[in-house]
Amino acid sequence: MHLAGQFVRRILQGVVVVLITTFLIFSILRIVPGDPVRLIVGGMAPDNLVEEIAQKMGLRDPIPVQFGRYLSQVVQGDLGNSYQRPKNGMMGQGGDFNANMDVEMAEVSDLILERLPYTLQLAGLALLISLIISFPLGISAGLKPKGFISKIAFFISSVFVSIPNFWLGIVLALFITIKLGLLPSIGYQNFAYTILPAIVLAVETCPFIIRTISVSFAEISQEYFIKSGKVRGLTRNGVIYRHTLRNASIPLLNLLGIQLSTLLGGVIVVEYIFDYPGLGQLTIYAVLQRDFPLIQGIAMVTSALYVGLNIAVDLITYSIDPRLES
Amino acid sequence: MRGGCMSKKIKFSRRKFMKFMAKSGLGAAALTSAPMLNHNFLYNSAFAASGKPLIFAAAEALTGNWDPTTHTNLGQLIFESYVFGYLTRCPMKPENPTQLNFELATEATEIDKFTLEFKLRDGVTFHNGKPFGAEDVKATYEYGSQPDRPAQWYPGQVDVEVVDRLTVRIKTEKYGYPAGLFYYLSSFLPILSADDVANPNNAASRPNGTGAFKFVEQDGDNTIMEANENFFMGKPKIPRVQYNFVGDTATRTLGLLSGEYNVTERLEPEQVDTIVANGGFALNQAVSTENKYLWFRCSKPPFNDINMRKAVAHAIDREGLLDILGISGTYTGCHVSPVKFGYTDVEGFPEYNPDKCQEYLAKAGFPKGKGLPELEYITSVGFYPKTKEYGEYITALLNEQGIPVKLSVLELGAWGNKLYDREGGGPGHMIDCGWCTGSPEPDLVIRTHFHSSSKRITGIVDADIDAALDKERNAPSVGEREQILKTEVMPLLVDKMPSVPLFGSVFIHAMANDVKDLYIYPNGMMSAETASIG
Amino acid sequence: MTLDDSSISKKIFYDSWQNNFFKFSVIFFIFICLLAFIYPEISEIKAEKMNIKSKFLPPIFFEGFSWTHILGTDQLGRDMLMRCLVGLRFSLIIGFASVFIMLLFGCLVGIISGFKSSWVDVIIMRITDAQLSIPMVILAISILGVSRPNLASIILVLALSGWPLYARVSRSMALIERDKEYVRGARILGANDFRIIFFLVVPIILPPIAFVSVLDIARMMIFEAILGFLGLGVQPPTPTFGNIIADARKYLINAWWIATMPGVFLVITLVTLNYIGSTLEKSKNKIFGEGI
Repeated sequence: MHLAGQFVRRILQGVVVVLITTFLIFSILRIVPGDPVRLIVGGMAPDNLVEEIAQKMGLRDPIPVQFGRYLSQVVQGDLGNSYQRPKNGMMGQGGDFNANMDVEMAEVSDLILERLPYTLQLAGLALLISLIISFPLGISAGLKPKGFISKIAFFISSVFVSIPNFWLGIVLALFITIKLGLLPSIGYQNFAYTILPAIVLAVETCPFIIRTISVSFAEISQEYFIKSGKVRGLTRNGVIYRHTLRNASIPLLNLLGIQLSTLLGGVIVVEYIFDYPGLGQLTIYAVLQRDFPLIQGIAMVTSALYVGLNIAVDLITYSIDPRLES
Repeated sequence: MRGGCMSKKIKFSRRKFMKFMAKSGLGAAALTSAPMLNHNFLYNSAFAASGKPLIFAAAEALTGNWDPTTHTNLGQLIFESYVFGYLTRCPMKPENPTQLNFELATEATEIDKFTLEFKLRDGVTFHNGKPFGAEDVKATYEYGSQPDRPAQWYPGQVDVEVVDRLTVRIKTEKYGYPAGLFYYLSSFLPILSADDVANPNNAASRPNGTGAFKFVEQDGDNTIMEANENFFMGKPKIPRVQYNFVGDTATRTLGLLSGEYNVTERLEPEQVDTIVANGGFALNQAVSTENKYLWFRCSKPPFNDINMRKAVAHAIDREGLLDILGISGTYTGCHVSPVKFGYTDVEGFPEYNPDKCQEYLAKAGFPKGKGLPELEYITSVGFYPKTKEYGEYITALLNEQGIPVKLSVLELGAWGNKLYDREGGGPGHMIDCGWCTGSPEPDLVIRTHFHSSSKRITGIVDADIDAALDKERNAPSVGEREQILKTEVMPLLVDKMPSVPLFGSVFIHAMANDVKDLYIYPNGMMSAETASIG
Repeated sequence: MTLDDSSISKKIFYDSWQNNFFKFSVIFFIFICLLAFIYPEISEIKAEKMNIKSKFLPPIFFEGFSWTHILGTDQLGRDMLMRCLVGLRFSLIIGFASVFIMLLFGCLVGIISGFKSSWVDVIIMRITDAQLSIPMVILAISILGVSRPNLASIILVLALSGWPLYARVSRSMALIERDKEYVRGARILGANDFRIIFFLVVPIILPPIAFVSVLDIARMMIFEAILGFLGLGVQPPTPTFGNIIADARKYLINAWWIATMPGVFLVITLVTLNYIGSTLEKSKNKIFGEGI
């Protein structure tokens, strides 16, 4: 019963958060300079036509009015249509004069849903790789804070956290794909194209995960019930797996919730470098083309993902250890 | 090879055409000196293709509007060269630069100075199944030559008379310029279906041509085409062509090396070195029809003052630019590319000279640049080679002379939207751009940009230039026209300097060795109807 | 545990100072900073000086090198060492300035929020939630991608994207401090919220957070490089790590040093900074307890 109430409260809070996010991005896009209409009609169009179309599109109304209109659409499940990408999926590029263009524009929700699986695949694989690297290092470092592995873990974390992702991506593409021909990585044809970008992302997230694991293992292993476990004659490994892992999973889950936005941020850069057809690449081009509905849609979806994941994390945490009510 | 293949299959009125050429003086002499580099990528393949698709990594995204009269986007011109048919094609090969191959037309005859007759090919159909005929040519030419069409490739408006189902006459008398201009233009104007012209929304929403490849779908940044079974020369060997927009030069090179793409364009010297070192690729280098320019916004201060334009021209070290460009650039001595009709090395072209620069600055009322506002110089990245590198170089040179310049390096789309002149002058003060057309016709550049009826980027309105351009266009013979271009128009343009021609572009395409018989025109357009892979 | 502020800072720093690597890192970092800020000014070689004829010179000891350019030259014949140093200078300025602003702003908002557990608190916390739910990169490129970036706007955008975490942390600390004896005491003595916050609470909460923020400086420096790489950073001709690497990307195979050298500079600086930050954080945790 209590869980259900908690759940409803968190969902409501989440909706509020997503609304605020959407409003923030919505306003920022309209406050900063850069007129999307100019990009829609093209560089050859005269200024008065730009103004005329902008008014027709409602882009000169006060921001709250525009936002209200947008929300009423969103409530009906309509994220709007892209300003720049016609239904046939083409990446339109301004430059000339498209005022007479009467092509049906792609729906933002379609564009996002099309790209989302690629990004989830990339993010998922990246997470998997970083967990595989982080678990052994993090656990050993946590259990023996003064040991050799702990130093290695600290060193690896310091270096990994200091390597810019775009730089690593370029270097890996150069050596692994071009020089050695081991893995393809530019564009996307099949699953193999995900591996190299995922490694770059994993390097970025590893330090945080290693740290979280080592800290929680260090703390928990010092706690009394482990000492008492030893007294009761349980083996060291048995203790670790019974108690520590379960307890360490709570900060780890929380970290994953928080790291999601870092991960998504990294995805943008990495997808851009590897020409990977995911949400990140879509975002970059949407921003450069001032494709307002698309940017808003992406921001809303990522924010909803983040909020949703954090609610899930809280609920799981709660079911693992009901004492930890957040 | 297009020429050989065509001459066997069709009635090729080469003799008649050469007669016209000889009469007009527009012979090889005008263009034989054009420096063209190796063409060893042309082979004849005897076998049918293995069925692999051709994937072309392109430097420019398409506009999203399929109507060819709405854009000047080079990427889309390349796409159109696959999907659309043209009355003629002009391969502009070094050994025979003015050779015209007939495609949708089979014959061209000059009836009189203002009338040019084309006989059309029978049995050609559009991709939507409708047969091609005189009505389509009439509709296309009359529509495309409307002054409100953004592409503005036409020298002026034109009327087309339909003589019979397969004969048209291009008439220009009413508009006062010779019809002979359409000889070369005919290889650059894609033919639309009359139905699409009647309903431009159809033309905009999907391409419908007579070309060797049919548009299938747009998949993200990839434009997918498949072989046209009903192509009049027979179904192409390559079953599928993909035009993939890859906006980053390094990515294009890496993708080519790793086998993602078969062909790529707009390579830079260093990438060429890499590709050569890697082996397995054929390179195609050719001086293109494109010059790169630094365009001034001539309709607003400070560049409405000719002295300011000259000051900048004298501040630019064009030799240094060529050093930066390496094999991607070549010297140009006037406002059209060295492979264009009417090209000449204008005597007294302003070269790097700080003293002269200062002299002109003083004349303009800004001695040592004092009193000048900060000038914005806009350039793009990703498409043209080395724009940022030489943009920084030019900025440094101008700053050295006391001209306060701020360089704005924009992504291609943003740059494209700032490119053209508007009321009150376009954005910024100087902008970098090239101009590349699939024909030796010089008016596609100089009239488009410097005549007050078009003035695309510069916004220049100058009675002297207008008069010279009109005189050149209305010249009674091609020989006289060439003379006027070389001795009057080009020197005048250099003197007025509405833009500084920086260098001529050398186009470098690279393709995998197994790609055979893909012809690349000097403006980057392609012919793949007889090409094969493997 | 009511420690007075100066003793906390001193203790944390003193504890870290026991570590020899930490000592070395601090000295090395100061050396790097001095190099970046002073050397380009006194050297005869200027970062922006182009010499087309001597482009693509490799670093010393590679075939064809020149002693004048020990790290080689770039595609326009500019000296790589100078460009790296000037790039580092901007990177440091942006890193420190943005963290300074986000720290001050975030903590202030957080402390006020924690003290006024009312609707102000609710709103501020929901805003931080909202902002944390948008990836920083999306936020930054949305703002910078549509306007022309300059030094100030980049610093502000970075600060904007980082403040919510500081607000959160300082709020939770303020919640603890709020109910402590000394605050109640001050209130009984008639001090208003403003006085209590600025003269009593801020000096206690700020220092430990400030130590941890060293790690964020490194993060912001990477972030600045990413923005530069995407073309949304400080504009040329000013060299920054991001734009040097982005420009040199296409020369990676032929002239590897142009993209490599800034990368190496950045990684060395960041490893140093991260080591300093992590050590300070460890000491802080030892003295002040976990929770940040």
